[in-house]
Amino acid sequence: MLESKSVTKMFGTLAAVDHISLSLEKGHVYAMLGPNGSGKTTWMKMAAGLIKPTSGQILFQGQPVNIESRKHIAYMSTEPYFYSWMTVKDVGKYYADFFDDFSYDSYLDLLRQMELTEEMKTSTLSSGMMAKLKIAVTIARDAQVYMLDEPFNGIDLLARDEMRRCILQYATEEKLLLVSSHLVEEMEAVADRAVFIQKGKLVENVDLEEMRTEMGVSMADRYRQIYGHTEE
Amino acid sequence: MLKLMKYEFRKTLVTKLILLGITAAVEIGYLISLYTEAKTALTVCIVLLTLLAVGGVMMMGLGSVLTLHRDMNTKQSYMLFMTPNSCHRILGAKVLENGLSILTAGAFYFALGALDITLLFWRSNAINEIWDFVQQFIHSMNDQIRLDTAGFAAFIFSLLAGWIMTVTLAYLADVVSAALLNGKKHNGLLSFALFLVLSWLIGWLTGMTTAGIADYNLKLVVRGAVNLVLAGIMYEITAQIMERKLSV
Repeated sequence: MLESKSVTKMFGTLAAVDHISLSLEKGHVYAMLGPNGSGKTTWMKMAAGLIKPTSGQILFQGQPVNIESRKHIAYMSTEPYFYSWMTVKDVGKYYADFFDDFSYDSYLDLLRQMELTEEMKTSTLSSGMMAKLKIAVTIARDAQVYMLDEPFNGIDLLARDEMRRCILQYATEEKLLLVSSHLVEEMEAVADRAVFIQKGKLVENVDLEEMRTEMGVSMADRYRQIYGHTEE
Repeated sequence: MLKLMKYEFRKTLVTKLILLGITAAVEIGYLISLYTEAKTALTVCIVLLTLLAVGGVMMMGLGSVLTLHRDMNTKQSYMLFMTPNSCHRILGAKVLENGLSILTAGAFYFALGALDITLLFWRSNAINEIWDFVQQFIHSMNDQIRLDTAGFAAFIFSLLAGWIMTVTLAYLADVVSAALLNGKKHNGLLSFALFLVLSWLIGWLTGMTTAGIADYNLKLVVRGAVNLVLAGIMYEITAQIMERKLSV
């Protein structure tokens, strides 16, 4: 469904993403893992069409990501990105204006679950509330691919549980979820596959169940093996 | 496109409302001064309204360039560039919204000026004296302007078209800075130099195009039209650069 073909992104002389080739299929929840600066965000932004690769290409259903693919790929950035004049309601209306797959009813439902109200100004939201809003507006789209970059950042444990439930409720056989997080243990309960990235290069793209049975290690253990204890 | 334009309008709404508020306050001052025949206050209000008309139209353009800059260089860029809209549409919405805003502001201040001058004639006995003042003022801006409706309309059209072209050129310089020179040394300086060089080149080109036209009104109209065509060319070049090279 989403295929990365030897994708590289250079920032000056630094290779943020270095010849990454991988294939992501629908019906799976992928955990994209790696220390800060490993290239997870850059790769996601390229898949969302926000950043142009220096070389290589990312394909969505066999076609290079473009304006058409943005209709089917829902991307949630780790940074807040809403216009400062917006209320929570404005954010929903904006998505409704531009994404045909956006359901305002689902959005309202998610807002209720996350204890947000339409009147709240985005500029006054705490980091936790902002994270909830980003999740709500992203998964209220009936997209084919969801890419969530560090969705659990700045959120307390109970809210994380709530958000995890919300995310999984939208993970069906027809969809592909790609979630990056440095909270590896949290991701263990969400993902069925893991993509490990280090210094811009793909280390491995593994099935977690197979890894547990064949290698006898959890995702967190594997993370420690790859990156070492100090890097987490 | 209309939805994009709606949000472009919303982004610059605060600037527009502030401008409208200041204009309303000065206009009220003008009307009170006219009614009470306070000549000094009246003169101050006329000068302020004139400055607001010129400055207001300029502010609309500058505000739009700043909005584009924010839309490419801050995280709010995701709001725009993750939507299924091409860079041609995104930039097109900006150019159209800004062009319409500039033309609307120009028409608004023109109408307000016409109304205020009519009121001044109606209220004042010294019609000839005031008319002389208006003529002198306009001639001080450009001594070739003919003070008839057609001449004034041609002048305003040429002025606004020139400003739309300048704003479009500023878009190009800003996009070159964000897409091609990003991360390079003296990025801002280089894009500003590009803006100055292209401005000079376009000024020369419009001058050459209209050099053989004797009728001043026609010259103004042709100059305005050439500027609008050049604005279209700048738009296409800018959109192509965005489409191929811009990362946000």
